[in-house]
Amino acid sequence: MNSNILLRLDEVTRTYEQGEHIVHALDHVTLDVKKGEFLALAGPSGSGKTTLLNIAAGLDQPTEGKAFFQESDLGLLSRRELARLRLGKIGFVFQSHNLVPVLTAEENTEFILLLRGVPDKIRRPRVHEILKEVGLQGMEKRRPSELSGGQQQRVAVARAIAAEPDLILADEPTANLDSKTAQALLALLEKLNREHGTTFIYSTHDPEVMKRAHRIVTLTDGKIKSDEIVPGNHIRS
Amino acid sequence: MLLLLKLSWRNLWRNKRRTILTVTSVSLGLALLLISLGIGDGSHKQLVDSAVRLGSGHVLIQAAGYQENAEFKMTLSGDDLMRIGEWLREFSANGDLVIESSVRRGFISGMMSSADGASGALVTAVEPVKERSVSKFSEKIVEGTFFEGNYKNPVVIGRGIAEKLELDIGDKAVLMAQGLSGEEIESILLRICGIIDTGTDELNQVLALVTLPDFQKGFRMGENVHQVALFTTDSDLSDKLALITSAQFPDLEVLTWADAMPELRDAIALDDGFNYVFQGTIFILVAFTVMNTLLMSVLERKREFSLLDAIGLSPSGRFRMVMLEAVFVSMMAVVIGFILGFSVHLYLKIHGLPLSAFYSDDMAGEFDFGGVMLDPVLYSDLSWSRIAGSVLMVTSITIILAVIPAFRAGRAGDVHMLSGK
Repeated sequence: MNSNILLRLDEVTRTYEQGEHIVHALDHVTLDVKKGEFLALAGPSGSGKTTLLNIAAGLDQPTEGKAFFQESDLGLLSRRELARLRLGKIGFVFQSHNLVPVLTAEENTEFILLLRGVPDKIRRPRVHEILKEVGLQGMEKRRPSELSGGQQQRVAVARAIAAEPDLILADEPTANLDSKTAQALLALLEKLNREHGTTFIYSTHDPEVMKRAHRIVTLTDGKIKSDEIVPGNHIRS
Repeated sequence: MLLLLKLSWRNLWRNKRRTILTVTSVSLGLALLLISLGIGDGSHKQLVDSAVRLGSGHVLIQAAGYQENAEFKMTLSGDDLMRIGEWLREFSANGDLVIESSVRRGFISGMMSSADGASGALVTAVEPVKERSVSKFSEKIVEGTFFEGNYKNPVVIGRGIAEKLELDIGDKAVLMAQGLSGEEIESILLRICGIIDTGTDELNQVLALVTLPDFQKGFRMGENVHQVALFTTDSDLSDKLALITSAQFPDLEVLTWADAMPELRDAIALDDGFNYVFQGTIFILVAFTVMNTLLMSVLERKREFSLLDAIGLSPSGRFRMVMLEAVFVSMMAVVIGFILGFSVHLYLKIHGLPLSAFYSDDMAGEFDFGGVMLDPVLYSDLSWSRIAGSVLMVTSITIILAVIPAFRAGRAGDVHMLSGK
């Protein structure tokens, strides 16, 4: 595999049984994502965006085909190895229910760093720096129930980026946010992509969010309908 | 690990009411276990003490075969008594084992008669002064005295014999029995100096106590006796004392109270068995409560476990997290249960549990167990090994029961729960 390719989906099909019917969430999807890309997955609800992200993170397995992260075939890894891979290399931001409810914003953010065994001396300043970066300074000790939806989403982003993963997957990260907060969050993701070279793949059906991407992959009925580079947007790599 | 500890502890308090109810049920289970063990062990100890101090001893030394055959001629000779006496004088405390006292006794079955009739009698010959310090005979005297006064050949008789033969203090009675010669029937004229109520009707119908010198003289025994009873400070030390004693006198028969009173030993074992069934039932109920709570808690958090899986917490990390929750529950329950159970135990150890609260007035004094009169007030007795065993049992049950929910938490990783759709 080309060393510049971070993620490869090779003829990936994912089907689900719904009663007597078989639904194709993904249907022979092939996709290469290079390091440093800022890629949007577009498409209507039920087009397979979430399934693609889940398979890319090793949270779900293809019914057919293969998914590779760097050199690793995700289908060959155990649950433990997949958890370790996510811990070390992949950050995930869900649309909602993103945070551990019993932990504060600060603790949620440092969760992955703690699991990785990052020493206190490095971890604490980094967490404070990132929370400041996402605009949550002064809210470090608040639990998720004490934060708004947008603030919770920013904590989730902070957690995802704190460990500086190679890839951040975000499933409709702005879906529950007002447009101003959504734009601010996107600006943050762009900054991380630009400054740290972090690869982003996010799903959305908001045209405003979509046009910020460098590359837009549109899915319909589980198939890639289009794959286009957005003119004028910068692509690292 | 610190992260998991923090997560587990906080998870417990997400549903305070449920956690409090679970901790309460487990701690009440432990407290109940400690209280029932305390009362059980305490009552058994009291029973043994009552039996031991009413004509027996913690350890008995007899001629070989006497326990089975009980022949009058099977006695401890003067030489035997000298050996035993020397050993007792030289015996120094062995750890916590101390020989508190020893008494010599003789036994014979005979016929006691008065002007109004005759009755079978089991005669025990005692050393009154020493016997008063170790046995409860003197406390059970209901009329007259325990060998005080200037009667010649004094006898203390059971209330049943006294009623049957219409004997009163100062009355004469004749005891007839076959003496050591085995050929002639010996008879002794006795004077009633006391009437005893042992609390057990069967014993009251037959018991007669005479002094050892009168007995030895009347039945031509010389210095011989049938038994030397040893008393220690705690019935739990009986086995240890018996072991040491039998090693010292391999030619003699050495028995513990349990060997000497097998019916009491069996009754206690049976009672223990019932107690274990009762305690087991309590714990099955507690166990299901714990299991149900943990399982519910895990099933409610499936979405969260999926999130933890997605952000990199390994299956073993999730397993450990739930196990730690169980450890916290058991630790809290053990502390509260111990404080509660031990406090009740201390109260019952000092003040006792009056049995009169559980039976009617006309039953008072008639409540016996394994042929031994039960004291009207039960006192709790709880050893540290019992406490440690109970705590270990509660802790291990709680933790073992957490394995299934924890395993499910480890397996949980349904990403579809996180889609938010």
